[in-house]
Amino acid sequence: MSLTITCPICGQRNGYEFRFGGEERGPRPDEEDLTHEQWCDYVHMRTNIGGIQREWWYHRDGCGSWFTIRRDTLTNLEVEGPEET
Amino acid sequence: MTPRLKDLPTLRINPATKLSLTYRGRRYGGMAGDTIATALHANGIRIFSRSLKYHRPRGLYSLDGESSNCLMEVDGVPNVRSAVTQLQDGMIVKPQNVVGTPEHDFMSFVDKLDRFLPAGFYYHYFHRPYKLWPFFQNRLRNAAGLGRLNPSFRMKGHFDEIYPSTDVCVIGAGPAGMHAALAAGDQGLRVILLEARPWPGGFFDYRSAEYSHDIPLHKRARQLADKIGERENIRFFPNTNMIGFYAKNLITAFQVGKESDPFDERYIEIRAESVVVATGCIERPMIFDHNERPGVMQVNCAHRLARTYGLLPGKRAVFSVGDDLGVEAAIDLSDLGLNVLCVADARFDGQASSLLEGLEKRNILFLRGWAVSKSHGNKTLKKATLCNIDGMMSRDFTCDVLVTSAGLTPAAGPLFLAKAKMSYDYFTNFFLPEALPPKVHVAGRLLGLMDSLSIEVSGRLAGLSAAADCGAPVQNHLRDAREEMEQLPGPARGSKLVQAPGSGRKRFICFDEDVTIKNIYQACDMGFDNVELVKRFSTAGLGPGQGNIPGHNLPMILAQYLQKYGDSSTTILPTTIRPPLVPTSLATYAGKCPDPVKRTPLHETMEKTPGAVFRRVGPLKRVRYFSNDFTCRKEIENVRNNVGIIDVSTLGKFRIFGPEALKALQRVYVGDMSNISEGKVKYSAMCNEDGCLIDDGVVIKRGDNDYYFTSSTNRADSTVEWIRYHSRHEPWNFCMVNLTDAFGAVNLAGPRSRDVLGMIADKDLSNESFPYAGYREFKIKGGVPIRAMRLGFVGELSYELHVPASYMRTVWDLLLEAGKPFDIMPFGLEAQNVLRLEKGHVIIGQETEIRTTLHDLGLEFLWHREKSLYKTVGAPALSFTEHQEGRMKLVGFKMEDPSRPPKDGSVIVDTRIRGHVCTARYSFTLGESIGLALVHSDLADIGTCLEIFEDNMDEKRLYATVVPTPFYDPEGKRLRM
Repeated sequence: MSLTITCPICGQRNGYEFRFGGEERGPRPDEEDLTHEQWCDYVHMRTNIGGIQREWWYHRDGCGSWFTIRRDTLTNLEVEGPEET
Repeated sequence: MTPRLKDLPTLRINPATKLSLTYRGRRYGGMAGDTIATALHANGIRIFSRSLKYHRPRGLYSLDGESSNCLMEVDGVPNVRSAVTQLQDGMIVKPQNVVGTPEHDFMSFVDKLDRFLPAGFYYHYFHRPYKLWPFFQNRLRNAAGLGRLNPSFRMKGHFDEIYPSTDVCVIGAGPAGMHAALAAGDQGLRVILLEARPWPGGFFDYRSAEYSHDIPLHKRARQLADKIGERENIRFFPNTNMIGFYAKNLITAFQVGKESDPFDERYIEIRAESVVVATGCIERPMIFDHNERPGVMQVNCAHRLARTYGLLPGKRAVFSVGDDLGVEAAIDLSDLGLNVLCVADARFDGQASSLLEGLEKRNILFLRGWAVSKSHGNKTLKKATLCNIDGMMSRDFTCDVLVTSAGLTPAAGPLFLAKAKMSYDYFTNFFLPEALPPKVHVAGRLLGLMDSLSIEVSGRLAGLSAAADCGAPVQNHLRDAREEMEQLPGPARGSKLVQAPGSGRKRFICFDEDVTIKNIYQACDMGFDNVELVKRFSTAGLGPGQGNIPGHNLPMILAQYLQKYGDSSTTILPTTIRPPLVPTSLATYAGKCPDPVKRTPLHETMEKTPGAVFRRVGPLKRVRYFSNDFTCRKEIENVRNNVGIIDVSTLGKFRIFGPEALKALQRVYVGDMSNISEGKVKYSAMCNEDGCLIDDGVVIKRGDNDYYFTSSTNRADSTVEWIRYHSRHEPWNFCMVNLTDAFGAVNLAGPRSRDVLGMIADKDLSNESFPYAGYREFKIKGGVPIRAMRLGFVGELSYELHVPASYMRTVWDLLLEAGKPFDIMPFGLEAQNVLRLEKGHVIIGQETEIRTTLHDLGLEFLWHREKSLYKTVGAPALSFTEHQEGRMKLVGFKMEDPSRPPKDGSVIVDTRIRGHVCTARYSFTLGESIGLALVHSDLADIGTCLEIFEDNMDEKRLYATVVPTPFYDPEGKRLRM
């Protein structure tokens, strides 16, 4: 796997060591007044950006932490540096 | 057998070690160092295979395996590249794509039909009417195709895989590559050097031309190779083909093992900080009439046959070349004893004067501005026609070998894969890198350099640049190397010629797919005016040679044709190159296929237990039965009447602690974890976001903010990840430890289990002091710490004992010893399966599928709905689906015929499929056949009759009635004894 991922604890490692956790969709919504559609949307819908997305990875064969990186889905490369606003 | 040339310093064969091979039933001799192809050639075999479409004879053309000519079946493996595969004693070799014999092929008449088989002929002829296409498709597929694979064939051999990382990876161990490796190695960096051939040296290895004062090139190559061998920080991989180049300098390759290696082939995946590509050049085929007749071969093929393998390629040779290497080979081969009739050079000028003098001295006819236009012969070469470039004059030569190439072409595959920007250079006539990706460097002939010193210095320069990428302080060295480079000759002018004069119908641009120049023109005329389209339509370059034969000629020919008859602004564009660069067997990609088995701490004990039958459960090996009676009657009845013991060490076991541990538990468990009392077990379940059951287990509170909990076996590896994932947005302070392997567990079950445990436990086990659903910690025999819980999975009084893994064998032995007076017996997974079925307990994955919610299983009582504060995983879906109609529900059933349980997985039908049987068994305890099934909710009412269909039942059905569960001890008295 050509992808490398920078774990905040272990540093840059081979992509084989990690499990993908999906794109960042913000914290869980409050259950008060939650509609069926909102919930399905949160659980099942994805943005599928063609470009740079913030996403979750789990260092399965390492420290066992969940963290986010930014990855360019067009080149499958991790993007370094802070997020531009 | 042809006698070999002796005493050449360049030889790579060892005549002392005789080998043999069997070809078409006859034994032939070879020697150590031979490839299959050179051994066959030494025995006078000239036709190696028949071509894909026209069944034309094909022979040795290149020694680097660039075309399908030398693909043969070796020891049952089809499509072995015989030109690059080392001969091993006793190999059985067969020709491929042959109907009859290679000399007399019954399909060779197709060669005469080429007029009727233009480019893409199958699209023209066989699609009208379209209904007939499947028929013709079948016929065409049977007629075409290279080797045949027996479906029952199993690939033999040891396949391995390694994943090294390195500072600098150098691809190609020719003069440039070796210099690059040495330059980086001098800086103390770790270097990996890959070479496709069995030895380093590249195009120096077999040449006797002078490098400098009295040092021939081959000696120089060996000097460099010795230096490489001395460096401990340079890892040299011979016999290694690079096949892929991916982002972040990830390089894939495979290595063919020598006899002394512990592998036959191994897959290599290298992560390098910096890469040097020094793959050099291959030859560009000359295109003329019948340019692939056996006897026609590339310059370096003829040269290396003699210099490396001691074999003269033939008796009377004609050379038609386009660069100095070709002229040099003619002179050298003439000195070695080959009768060189003539050397035609497509160039009018530019030859090195020393070479011209050499030709003159040997009285070899030299034709300037001439090229071969046609080869003659029935099957193998008999005569060659040469003509000058404008086609006005021609001469015939009777010969048996024609050594030819139109010029050189860089082996730039790795650069294309690395996504370097490549553009056509009209001086060298090469595709040269215009811009390189970061941390990728190029050296040697890939840059168009032909001078030995220039090549070496370019290698050093690239090696130093790579070292600089790794942070080595090499600025001064780099400057020196650049200055040195400026003094040396730059890129050499390359030959422009593609095809010799003439316009025959059998001028092959692609040997693998039998594509002629005519086919290319036909494709152009049909409007395929782009090199990628022509490639796909004509199939040129789509064969196993991976486009190495037509790769360079196709873009040039196409551009010439289109400039003349189409768009005059057409430029020369390369086709897309994709991995693997070299044909790679699937077995190599599969690699070692490790299949590790996880063992419980009791594995050895179980193996020694009489009657134990193991079954694979995921990564684990567990005992399914303790006798050959697979109904497990004795095991079951002993648990119901006396006491049984089972190894359940595979259960997931975890500790979670910290100020906010409770919040994490509340997030993932559907139950309320805030009211677990000390000394009690809390049974609960985890759901996914869809409210579907994924795990069940117990939670124990061992202290303030300190919990011990279990998961089912197949969640042991993913529970920590699950809990952390679902709390990833929370700043909660808690820690988790996976204790699955640190603790073993046994379940002691049966009405007499209290008596057994009482014999060795230093604890009052009476129902009052240790009731059902209780949790106690005590010691066995005053020493072994035990965590005990009273659970009832099998429906009897039982104790689940969690023990530090290292004590497991002791505890097991102590319990068996203590249980002897009570007739204790171990029981396996099948007995447990029946016991829990009688009790109506579900096993996740067996009674559930991906869509089964807590409600569907009748386990909604586990869900505590008043904790929305904790945003429990799955809770919203549980409230949304609570009253949903039309769901599949879990029901218990009894068979109408008590002696005949249906097979697990049988379907429940009326006029269509309405559900399926999850588990069904004959229950010795109840004297009936019982089971659990997932059925549509309208069949879930008690008393409903179920029709069950088993495989191959035709019109017959089995009948069952829905009954309440549990089947056994519905009041649960026996758990609480």
